[in-house]
Amino acid sequence: MSRRPEVRSSLLCDHTAGRVAAIDRGEHPSGGLESLTAPLEAAPSGRHFTEVTHYKQYPPNTSKVYSYFECREKRTDPTKSRKVKYDKTVFYGLQYILHKYLKGKVVTPEKIQEAKEVYREHFQDDVFNEKGWTYILEKYNGHLPIEIKAVPEGSVIPRGNVLFTVESTDPECYWLTNWVETILVQIWYPITVATNSREQKKILAKYLLETSGNLEGLEYKLHDFGYRGVSSQETAGIGASAHLVNFKGTDTVAGIGVIKKYYGTKDPVPGFSVPAAEHSTITAWGKDHEKDAFEHIIKQFPSVPVSIVSDSYDIYNACEKIWGEDLRGLIETRSADAPLVVRPDSGNPLDTVLKVLEILGKKFPTEENSKGFKVLPPYIRVIQGDGVDINTLQEIVEGMKQHKWSIENIAFGSGGALLQKLTRDLLNCSFKCSYVVTNGLGVNVFKDPVADPNKRSKKGRLSLHRTQSGDFVTLEEGKGDLEEYGVDLLHTVFQNGKIVKTYTFDEVRDNAKLKESELEELLH
Amino acid sequence: MEGQGHSITHYKQYPPNVSKIYSYFECRRKKDSQFSEVVFFGLQYLLKKYLTGPVITEEKIQEAKLFYQMHFKQAVFDEEGWRKVLEKHDGRLPIRIKAVPEGRIIPRGNVLFTVENTDPNFYWLTNYIETMLVQMWYPITVATISREFKKILAKHLKATSGSLEGLDLKLHDFGYRGVSSQESAALGGAAHLVNFRSTDTVAGLLMAQRYYACPMAGFSIPAAEHSTIISWGRNREKEAFERVLDQFSSGPVSVVSDSYDIFNACKHIWGDKLKEQVMERSQDSCLVIRPDSGDPTETLIEVIKILEECFGCSLNSVGYKVLPSYLRIIQGDGIDLTSVDEILQKLSDEGWSAENMFFGCGSALLQKLNRDTLSCAFKCSYVETNGKGMDVYKQPVTDPSKGSKRGRLSLRRNSDGFLETIERGAGKPEEDLLVTVFENGSLVQDYSLEEIRKNARLQDEELNPILHNHEQELLHNHIFNGIH
Repeated sequence: MSRRPEVRSSLLCDHTAGRVAAIDRGEHPSGGLESLTAPLEAAPSGRHFTEVTHYKQYPPNTSKVYSYFECREKRTDPTKSRKVKYDKTVFYGLQYILHKYLKGKVVTPEKIQEAKEVYREHFQDDVFNEKGWTYILEKYNGHLPIEIKAVPEGSVIPRGNVLFTVESTDPECYWLTNWVETILVQIWYPITVATNSREQKKILAKYLLETSGNLEGLEYKLHDFGYRGVSSQETAGIGASAHLVNFKGTDTVAGIGVIKKYYGTKDPVPGFSVPAAEHSTITAWGKDHEKDAFEHIIKQFPSVPVSIVSDSYDIYNACEKIWGEDLRGLIETRSADAPLVVRPDSGNPLDTVLKVLEILGKKFPTEENSKGFKVLPPYIRVIQGDGVDINTLQEIVEGMKQHKWSIENIAFGSGGALLQKLTRDLLNCSFKCSYVVTNGLGVNVFKDPVADPNKRSKKGRLSLHRTQSGDFVTLEEGKGDLEEYGVDLLHTVFQNGKIVKTYTFDEVRDNAKLKESELEELLH
Repeated sequence: MEGQGHSITHYKQYPPNVSKIYSYFECRRKKDSQFSEVVFFGLQYLLKKYLTGPVITEEKIQEAKLFYQMHFKQAVFDEEGWRKVLEKHDGRLPIRIKAVPEGRIIPRGNVLFTVENTDPNFYWLTNYIETMLVQMWYPITVATISREFKKILAKHLKATSGSLEGLDLKLHDFGYRGVSSQESAALGGAAHLVNFRSTDTVAGLLMAQRYYACPMAGFSIPAAEHSTIISWGRNREKEAFERVLDQFSSGPVSVVSDSYDIFNACKHIWGDKLKEQVMERSQDSCLVIRPDSGDPTETLIEVIKILEECFGCSLNSVGYKVLPSYLRIIQGDGIDLTSVDEILQKLSDEGWSAENMFFGCGSALLQKLNRDTLSCAFKCSYVETNGKGMDVYKQPVTDPSKGSKRGRLSLRRNSDGFLETIERGAGKPEEDLLVTVFENGSLVQDYSLEEIRKNARLQDEELNPILHNHEQELLHNHIFNGIH
């Protein structure tokens, strides 16, 4: 039983950096449950248990199973009225899954043996498809005979359209399509983070334009504070990278590792941060020494922006007395490139932000910009990093606008809402079978539950096209072959164990950037 | 061992001559929260995977140095500091972590674990590993919610059948596809297995095996899913069902039946065309019908009525209706703590035993939770500067519930039998329930899932809601008006 050497986590990233080194040394990491470095990291074992048994359930003489992924539209929504519609989604994260779990040799004889044993125990029965996996091992040297076609990463596509398709390429391996489903459905997460992050970018863009006349600094207006609030290291990496599709400020270092390893950028790093205090570095000085703490920290970082959490005891006193009076001299000498960024961290977000701005506005000379909104002097700014989600973000920027404060004054940090408070239901991400070949005949298949029309799935072979007017349309039942709508926007990205098309993170960002037309729409 | 970006800069921010930073983790009390106690679980995984042994190497120091130079656009990385760990301690972390034994049930607002540096040169390490340790919120929260499910299921099962047989198979983990990553699936899946033994999340089993010494923590049954039914075509749902029954003739099998019309499937296919095949099955190889759309309660009531019409039922020893032993139902759509209670209550009102039901839960179990669910927080409570110890805390005027504990902490059982946290170093060591689990790079305790399951099992008071009310109230008041 070969055991891969334990890949220790680095100071930067978990397993990802370690694996870079492994690849450089010419070792070829296998797919599967990498993060557990367990003997059973194998395509055979790494999934949803019941999928183990599906190979026996398809119609006899099935030679192909074809499935697709979409973010379903929700046509009727009786129970909830969401403020945010999420009409379009950002497609992102497939490349990570392909590289990490599906490419190359994912099966070995040892893994088959072990999986067989695990499943025997788990089902108390012999259900494991040993024959099927052995076939893959022998005929394909353990590579998966699967073809995946997908829209380019970073594409912004309306709900209800096909985003990628998966089909088996060998008649003996019809069951494989469904096997890879569970790992592929986890793409819901990077898609949802990137989409939610982008919707917030639209809100920030709108208010920044309205209150300042330009979009300078937009990419640093929403900082990723989510590291501590996600469910695992791996999630941190994926989620943080998804946020960086739209922004450049992050404290979730793991995201940068994911981008460098699985996408690549022309810049040395895709995300940045600034020195920041946190409560322990303030409270460690003792309650009566908050000013000493502030002073010490601000002096440690004279020539870069520094963020200092100021609510350990009384945010308003800190702003008025300490920043506004005792240490004012120190702050005023800072340059525009190295502002003090005051960070409240408790209380009602909008009320707190407005009150902090009011106090700082009294203590420091504000100016009116070309749009008639107030701006603090360039050496002092505010960051609100508590309780920020897409709804409170909207409330805060609207509240600031009403009180004539420019959005130039503020940046936001978001943690749980950015990276964790999301589920597969938010965008109704779904993977469904739409076409099978049985006895040589292709059949369009679908589900259509009587009690929920929203859960109906698409039929047949699918393709994605652009209409004359520039809209997207998904053609079902193989109609894309008729070439009425021009080329299929889905490209083959994975074929029989090889990744055949990749996107750099720069391309992803380019595809996802806000369009002129969207900005115009926002302002009206 | 990633830190949060700015944690790298903290070593410059502490007062001069700091020699110790002592921090702790708790699930803060929050008024009106439905969760008054938590299951402590998951620390051993983090320790084994990320913190034990020589975790600092020269290679990593170089990588980090380069990286942070670019990330901050300046040199803030404490290269010397990290190299000292390598040189003086062989790359092992000079840290001590004391914790509540895993699986223990602890009321909100109590210290769950503490972290401190053991070498005065490395005071900044405590805070550096904070971000990773705060991720403890996840396995704690999953294990807690999973256990809350267990309480509800136990209540109904006891009331409508007189026993708790099969309780630990009643809630199946369906969450794999709905979590954010493989690692989360593993950790969340394992956390559920603290309370139950039914899962479809493979990774959780492997996690339990590798990090908690449990060879096989959970079980599953063969199941159809929509693709294996719809691939037969709309007019051959019966053939699809039949195939599944034939392929899995021994052992239970679950068949999703709502691809087109759940009620038709129950009445005309299961209840008519395939009725004989269904009835032939034994109790050990029962058919488990799975609806997967529509309002859960309404759908289930109608389904069970149809099944009663077609297959009949019998009364159990406490007078509730049970379907024949070859037939059961699993509801795996729309299940959360509220709906599972509603469903079982409604069924019970209609005279049906909870024995008829199994449940599957996906995102509500493994994804639809966050750090705020149990208000998990990691805060510094004590420092030593210039040789002097000082109790520290935050107490924001804008939110008193965000206040933190002061000084060195211990956990003990008081004279009323309730758990409480003693602050300001006033606790007696012999009463302290916190145990050293990690010290200077070594794991000091190694809990098995078996022990953890024992610690986390439902207590009699929790199983008997009527008797329990008074004590619950006492405990509830104790927690929410608690000591601070």
